[in-house]
Parts: sequence; C-alpha cells; structure tokens
Amino acid sequence: MLEVSGIHAGYAGSEVLHGIDLVVREGEGVIVLGPNGHGKTTLLRAITGLLPPRSGEVRFKGRDITRERADVIAAAGLVHIPQGDLLFPDMTVLENLLMGAYHRSTWNERRARLGRIYELFPWLKLRGSQPARSLSGGERRMLAIGRGLMARAELLIIDEPSLGLAPVTTQQIYESIRAVKEGGMAILLADENANHVADLADRIYLLESGTLVREGPAGLLMGDTALLESYLG
Amino acid sequence: MQYTQIVQAVWGGLLFGAVYGLMALGLTLVWGAVRLLNLAHGAIFVVAAYVAYATVANLHQPILVALPVGVAAAAAFAYLMHLFLVRPVLGKPGFDNATLMATIGISISVQAAALLIFNPEYKVIPPVLQGSNLLAGVQVTNQGLLVIGTSLALFALVYLFLTYTRQGMAIRAVSQQMEAASLMAIPVVRTYAVVIAISGALAGVAGILLSPFFFLNPSSGFNPMIQALIVTIFGGLGSIRGALVAGYVLGVFESFVEVYFGVAWALPGVFLLIILMLIVRPNGLFGTGDVRRL
Repeated sequence: MLEVSGIHAGYAGSEVLHGIDLVVREGEGVIVLGPNGHGKTTLLRAITGLLPPRSGEVRFKGRDITRERADVIAAAGLVHIPQGDLLFPDMTVLENLLMGAYHRSTWNERRARLGRIYELFPWLKLRGSQPARSLSGGERRMLAIGRGLMARAELLIIDEPSLGLAPVTTQQIYESIRAVKEGGMAILLADENANHVADLADRIYLLESGTLVREGPAGLLMGDTALLESYLG
Repeated sequence: MQYTQIVQAVWGGLLFGAVYGLMALGLTLVWGAVRLLNLAHGAIFVVAAYVAYATVANLHQPILVALPVGVAAAAAFAYLMHLFLVRPVLGKPGFDNATLMATIGISISVQAAALLIFNPEYKVIPPVLQGSNLLAGVQVTNQGLLVIGTSLALFALVYLFLTYTRQGMAIRAVSQQMEAASLMAIPVVRTYAVVIAISGALAGVAGILLSPFFFLNPSSGFNPMIQALIVTIFGGLGSIRGALVAGYVLGVFESFVEVYFGVAWALPGVFLLIILMLIVRPNGLFGTGDVRRL
C-alpha cells in the first residue's frame, strides 16, 4: 500500500534521513520506534509532502507521490495526524472536525462521519461550540485524531500520539487508535515507547540516527527487551 | 444651522465609513489569510472604476451592466496579481518585502496605464440610483444610501461565507494553521487565490459605487486606500469586526472635522486620532496581542 524506498530528507544544510526503506501493507499496524531527535517526525513529513524528500521514492497504492503537494496526498487517502496536533485554534471543536472532511468526497457525508467520531469520543459532541484553543492537552489530541478520522483515510499516519500526555489519557488515546485499526485501517505510527504500541503493532521498524536499523514482526522485537532497551534507553 | 451641520456631518461620515469599511474589509481579509499587505488595493479600485466607465461611455451599457463587469474585472485583476506576483514568492524568504514592492509597482503601473488610456481628465460614472431626499436641510442621496446598504450587506455576506461555508471555513483554517490545512486536503495556494479575488471584487464595488461622488481620475484609488489602511490598523489588522467598526468611527470623525474645522484638517485630524489610539491600544481596536487571524 505504502512503499518508501531510499529516501533522503532534511532541512537546510543537514540531512536527517539517510536512505529509508519502509513498507506498509493493507490493514497493517506498522510502528516506527526510535528515540527523540532521530528522525521519526521528519520521516512522516517526508512521506506526506510536508517536507519533500531530496531523493528516493514514495509510492502510495502504486502511484508515485514523492513530489506531490500535501493536500493532494491527503486527498488520495494518506492522512497524517501531525505532532503537536496543529489544531485550528480560533475555530470551534465542530469546525475543526468539519475541516477534516473538507474534501469533496467526504463533505457531503460529513454528518454521518461526525456520528462515528462521536462514538469514539462522545465528549466532542457536547463541546462542539467551544474554541479549540480552550481545550486541555488530552482533549486537543483526541480532537486532532477525530479531525484526521473525518477524512477518508486508507492509511493513517500518526506522529507520537502520547507526546506530553498524562498516563491515563495516553491509555485512552491508544485504545481509540486500536479501535480504529480493528476496523481495518492501516496505520503507520511513530513512537518512542514500545509499551504504548504493543497492542497496535504488526511490524516494527527501529529508527536510529536517520537510518532504519532493524525491522521485524512485532512479537519478535517486542520480546527482545535487551534490544529495545539498548535502542530506546 | 447647528442641527443641519450635525446631520450633514453624520450623513457624510456614514457614507465615508461605509466605503472605508468596504476597502478595509478587502485589505484585512488578505492580510489575515495570506499575510500580504496589498498596497495595490487602490489600483484595483481604479481598474474597476475605469472598466465600468468604459462600459458605460464606450459600450453604451447602463450602469447596472457596468457594475458587475467592473467588479469581475477587479476580481480578475486581483487574481492575475496573485498568479504572477504573489504565488512565485509564497513561502520564500523575503516574501514581505517582495510583495510590498511589487504591489507598489502595480499601483504606479495602473495609474500610468490609466493616464495613457483614458487621459487625466475627470470622468463621470453615473450613479446606480438617481434622486435624493432632504433630511433636516441635508441632501441625502439615494446613491449614498445604496453605498451604505451595500457595504453593510457585503460585510454580512463575507461574515456568513467565512463562518458557514466549506470554502469560507477553509480560508480560516489556512489562515490559522496552514500546515494542518494542507493535511486536511485543503489546497492552500488556491485558497489564497480565492481570498485575493474576493478582496479585489470588494475594492471594485467600492470603486464603482463611490466614483459618482468624487469623479474618477487615475489617482482616485489612492485616498480610499490610505484611509482603508488607517481603518485596518485602527480596527486591528486581520479583524473583520474591527474593519467595520473602525470604518464608521473614522468616517464620522473625519466628517465632523471637515464640517467644523474645514476639509484641510480632515486627514491631519484622522492621523492625530490614530496616533492617540495606537498609544492607548497598540494592537488596534479589536487587535489581540498576537497578530489577528480570521
């Protein structure tokens, strides 16, 4: 479904990713594990057009999207829930959700899609008219996930959903993501804590200093605590 | 006498205020969404007015035909500006300086082109509505009422558009969090184009409806634009409510200064007011600490 081959990417003067190969198949839960500052966010941004790679290729459903704009990639069904949520701060909760369904193919069914999001996070329905900037950290994260799910995603890319959250909220967030995955959605998720993703992962990549150093089925890597500890500390 | 003067000042002020507000609305929209300070806003005003004039004078069409033609020309002109001057430098370092110089350049070019095509003589654009009523000794023209009504209606329309429509909400999304907007499949650059074209159309309406009062010459757009800039700063950059309120506040203030101290004091008076205002509220009437977003 998603094939990333040999991508190099970075910011002015410094290369962050040194040739990444990665695959996500239909319905699969793929986790990129790595410590902070080793390129997880850069990798996801390079895939979804926010930071076009310098070289290499990204294919989604067989189509080359390496040089496509972020909005075109999103419209194709590759939906990225970014780090830090990036909500629309002066828009209401409801408006934020609606923007997730901006694309023509989803706008007309936005009511039905809202209903599904409200099943996942019922409080969103009650607080629809509240401005996004007034939400707590955990609420923002849920809204960001809900907004992403309003789009017609075929592969959901989620960047460190536990960042800065209290343990209770973190658990709630991962449970909601698992529910989405159990509905058949393919997920590519970046995290730095292996324990968070145990229920989500089919396969795991270990990212270190901009290079994928290990890849394997989740059961195998998760069992190897010595390995995980040496990478993630 | 006293009473007539007051009515005169209020009427003039409402009329000025409506036009300043309409011009400021376009400026503040583009600033709020694109972060572009469009100093060619007055040029768009003039383009619309001359196209309407030519439609009436050369093509012998009624003003009710010339109005939409002129407004469409203004929107098209603004769109071309976006295409050739804004889009190439979007997201590049130096965007502010490049677009500032480019829009000044357009302003001068339009003025020169109007001079070449139409000569410097004052042109008359017929009003949409004829006639007037006497109110406490003051001539209240129907065209003036139309200007005020149109301005209020367009403010309401823009507000409803931004609040309730898919495209309008997308404009706010882009202005508040551009990166997230693009992740929601919103085409950011095309959204900019829509905002700039709408802003151009608003300047066009102002240009065509105002010209029957002041006549039209190649530099007619300059004063309304300066006033609109002042209104925009006064009301808070990027604030629509600010543009509406500040338009009328400044319009009525200017009008009272004119009636009681003479026309020569109008602009100095307005500048004095804005300097005082910026000392008290540095971010404008409705400006917040950070730069306002739509």
